[in-house]
Amino acid sequence: MTTASHTFHGLASAKDLFALTKPRVMSLVIFTALCGLLAAPGPIHPVIAFTAILAISLGAGASAALNQWYESDIDAIMQRTSQRPLPAGRMDRDTALHFGVGLSFFSVLLMGLAVNWFSAIFLAFSIFFYAVVYTIWLKRSTPQNIVIGGAAGAFPPAIGWAAVTGDVTMMPFLLFAIIFFWTPPHFWALALFMNSDYSKAGVPMMPVVAGRQSTRNQIFGYSLILAAVAVAPFALGLAGVVYGGVAIVLSAIFCVLGWRVCRSKTTRPDDMVAEKRLFKFSILYLFALFAAVVADRIMVA
Amino acid sequence: MSEIDNDKAPMSPEEQKVYQARQKQRAIIMACLLLFMVVLFYLITIVKIGSGS
Repeated sequence: MTTASHTFHGLASAKDLFALTKPRVMSLVIFTALCGLLAAPGPIHPVIAFTAILAISLGAGASAALNQWYESDIDAIMQRTSQRPLPAGRMDRDTALHFGVGLSFFSVLLMGLAVNWFSAIFLAFSIFFYAVVYTIWLKRSTPQNIVIGGAAGAFPPAIGWAAVTGDVTMMPFLLFAIIFFWTPPHFWALALFMNSDYSKAGVPMMPVVAGRQSTRNQIFGYSLILAAVAVAPFALGLAGVVYGGVAIVLSAIFCVLGWRVCRSKTTRPDDMVAEKRLFKFSILYLFALFAAVVADRIMVA
Repeated sequence: MSEIDNDKAPMSPEEQKVYQARQKQRAIIMACLLLFMVVLFYLITIVKIGSGS
């Protein structure tokens, strides 16, 4: 079977180009970047704020396109990703590469010209980090791949902050650290009940390399670090009681769910209730925590 | 190579129809995006002039 027969004479549809930007991941990027932007001290004109969020989103879309360009071989093996435009044969690799590189340059230039060059360079670095350091270099070579990939996903709130202030201080660093330490328990919980897929693709995902129990212990370990980092803005006086209350309560629940995962011994994905519960809660946790950062800021203002 | 290269093979009338429809759809979306960018850059310019930067 040739790819050309599916790409329809080399012309990818607009729908597939959009799918290449991983719109669902982008929604989290938009949300966290917006929270970073709204939490930053200082004024920003709504048009410039909108442009900053647009540039960050386009940068995230570019990273996703470059990621799928490079990973089409392993995407084809995994059931979860086999219907993406490249492995399904609806687009050729060159189109994805050109789209990703073009979008990268456009997003960085847009950020630089409309917002400020500090955040533009920051955005360029985040695209480079995700596409090259994570996707090309480390994803296939270390079981800590998710920890490193988490750093790439953690940049948006700090870039949003930098769009307003033109620098990075302790608070955006902590927002970065929250997503950084949130990613391993979130993704490893998913990897535990999707284990067979990662094994088939030969990706050194933690459950494949270190085993389920070690992964479960590490999930709990990261949950504790996450709780400490999440409470830090309140403890250091960088956020008020609204954020502090939300962070303490939700982090305590996160740690309890992480502990249940740690105690779980099941090997059948269908029985992994604790893992599925932690995975679902982790999404709510991140949204609630970042919403609380903004709510706290509005209350203070 | 004995395999037929579908990219270079002539299209049937039905295929041509689908191809042209896809081309048209992409052209419309591109036009809308360009229009959006023109408006956005206009607004950015106004804001920049207003703030004196």
